[in-house]
Amino acid sequence: MSGAELPPTAAFAGLASGTVLALGVAIAVRVWVAGAGERLITPQAENKPQVAIADQAEVGYCTPQFKQVLERVLHSCGLSEGDARRGCQPADVKTFASISDEDFNALFTPLKDRGAVILFDESQDVLDDKAKKLIEDKWFARRGARYFFVVARASKSGTQSKNRALSHRRANSVMFYLNQIANDPEIDQKVGLLWLGNEFAQLSKDYCSWPTSRPDVKCEDETINRSAFVSWVDCRL
Amino acid sequence: MPSEPGTPDKKSKLPAWLALLAALLGLLFAAYSTFDYANHLDRRLHEVHCSFIPGAPATSKAEACRAAMYSPYSALFRQHYWGGIPISLFALGAFSFYAAFAVYLIAAGGRAPKRAVSFFATTSLLPVCASLVMFSISVLKLGSICKICAGIYISSLLLAVMAWLLARAQRTRPVAEAQATVSKLMPLFWLATLGLVSLTPALVYAGSAPDERPFIDKCGTLKQPKIKNDELVKIATLHPTRKALLFEDPLCEICKAFHQRLVSENIIEQLDIELALFPLDTDCNWMLDQSLHPGACLVSKAVLCGGSQARQVLEWAFDEQEYLNRAAKSGVDVLRGAIKQRWGDTLLRCVDDRKTDVRLNNHLHFASDNGIPVLTPQMYLGDKRICDEDTDLGLRYTLGVLAPEVLK
Repeated sequence: MSGAELPPTAAFAGLASGTVLALGVAIAVRVWVAGAGERLITPQAENKPQVAIADQAEVGYCTPQFKQVLERVLHSCGLSEGDARRGCQPADVKTFASISDEDFNALFTPLKDRGAVILFDESQDVLDDKAKKLIEDKWFARRGARYFFVVARASKSGTQSKNRALSHRRANSVMFYLNQIANDPEIDQKVGLLWLGNEFAQLSKDYCSWPTSRPDVKCEDETINRSAFVSWVDCRL
Repeated sequence: MPSEPGTPDKKSKLPAWLALLAALLGLLFAAYSTFDYANHLDRRLHEVHCSFIPGAPATSKAEACRAAMYSPYSALFRQHYWGGIPISLFALGAFSFYAAFAVYLIAAGGRAPKRAVSFFATTSLLPVCASLVMFSISVLKLGSICKICAGIYISSLLLAVMAWLLARAQRTRPVAEAQATVSKLMPLFWLATLGLVSLTPALVYAGSAPDERPFIDKCGTLKQPKIKNDELVKIATLHPTRKALLFEDPLCEICKAFHQRLVSENIIEQLDIELALFPLDTDCNWMLDQSLHPGACLVSKAVLCGGSQARQVLEWAFDEQEYLNRAAKSGVDVLRGAIKQRWGDTLLRCVDDRKTDVRLNNHLHFASDNGIPVLTPQMYLGDKRICDEDTDLGLRYTLGVLAPEVLK
């Protein structure tokens, strides 16, 4: 077979198209990579979707006033600074909270379902089984909360000193039980104790509708104040 | 009917035209793939092309294409270049060569040298072989096929079929038809050119890739490396040489892909891993408005209860992730049933234990104490956070810089 002449246009067409394609590809790659390099050193636009940052819970009832009162109480009662002193006496609370009894109680209203009222026998500070069970339920339902509050009361009647001592013992009963179940060396940094005697923020009969450790017992003004309210507080303080 | 010498035979040119079309299609798909890859060199998240239709826009719904891109098989020299050198660059060069060669054969028409046609047919098998390898990897290793990759496979196949039809047509052509001849050395020259043209885009890419080193350790540190009053989950590995902390959600798809990357690149066995469970499920995680992975709290508790088998439970959750996600949507009892069926009553009792709730809560508080971003997966080497983009495309490069011992 004799070799025919290849049209000169064939080699030229192949070479030219190859050159154009190879150059085009090289330039495109260079432009794409350089563009990315340029963006790399250019700060990103403001409209970049922001990623949420993990933090403790902060729910709707954490109003500035609520947080202010709790912060005052926490700092003043020595919890936040890790002070050896534990808890707030009635006079302290009244001073540090700087609000009326009704307003103080109203602040805790949103915690109705998050917390519970632990009821005691008259003049007693012993937790019964149902009280222990309810404290456990509440303590272990921590979720994102940082602080657990125990607000103990005594009785609407009786002397101030007797009620102060009784409410203090009730707060301690809860604290001791928390220590037993929690197995948490940092529990002191979590639990805020308040005892109110009968001088400040006594509960009205309306609070009988809150979850209590004795739902089957008749609840009156006097009964509801023989108590310790316990709750995690889902606020960043 | 034979054509007159020198007169182009339209019928014999058809395979060459179709080969040109196939090469251009392959070039286009390879260009999309390379463009998407190069785009990510800016360390940001971009939409990617993932369609058989040339010209279809990039989309955020391109899981298979993204999985292929992040896989260790999509690029070479990942340890030396951030993200590596994408293999689509070689396809870009090769398809350019084949397109130009097809133009040459079209222009030569019936007088195309036999050696040229044979060379075209023979070397057209190279992209087919490469496609077969990549297709097998897609099916066997990744479990999905990206449409852009499939476009390249189909183009390669079409190119080879047309090249062989062209060769066959030439063999059956009457002797009377004169063909040009070329030197015996020409195929070697073409082969060298094919190699050079295939390498050029990769060389350009490597030469202009930005320096990512200044950015890889700028994503924060842990404030409190120790979890309070609890322990993280120890993930058993063969040669733990470097401490690493992972935040993972067993029902998160990206965590699964990340875990598979660590396994397939044989990195996991060199890491001394502690796992913090971070389920993106409102059932236990207060940091979300809505559950991204319903059921993840329950499965996380199963991992916590795994004890010395925690890695197996985690890998089971990743392997069965689709099933577990479906089970979770059917109800908590169905999900509990799935856990019980695989791991038995004892583990399920542990899952239901209040202590396990507390442990999971401690893990979540560990995340909040450290103020980490609410996303998974996250990796920390020591207390240094590895940026998200460095856990996918840049994983090997970043580890090469920050923890070279884990790549040995």
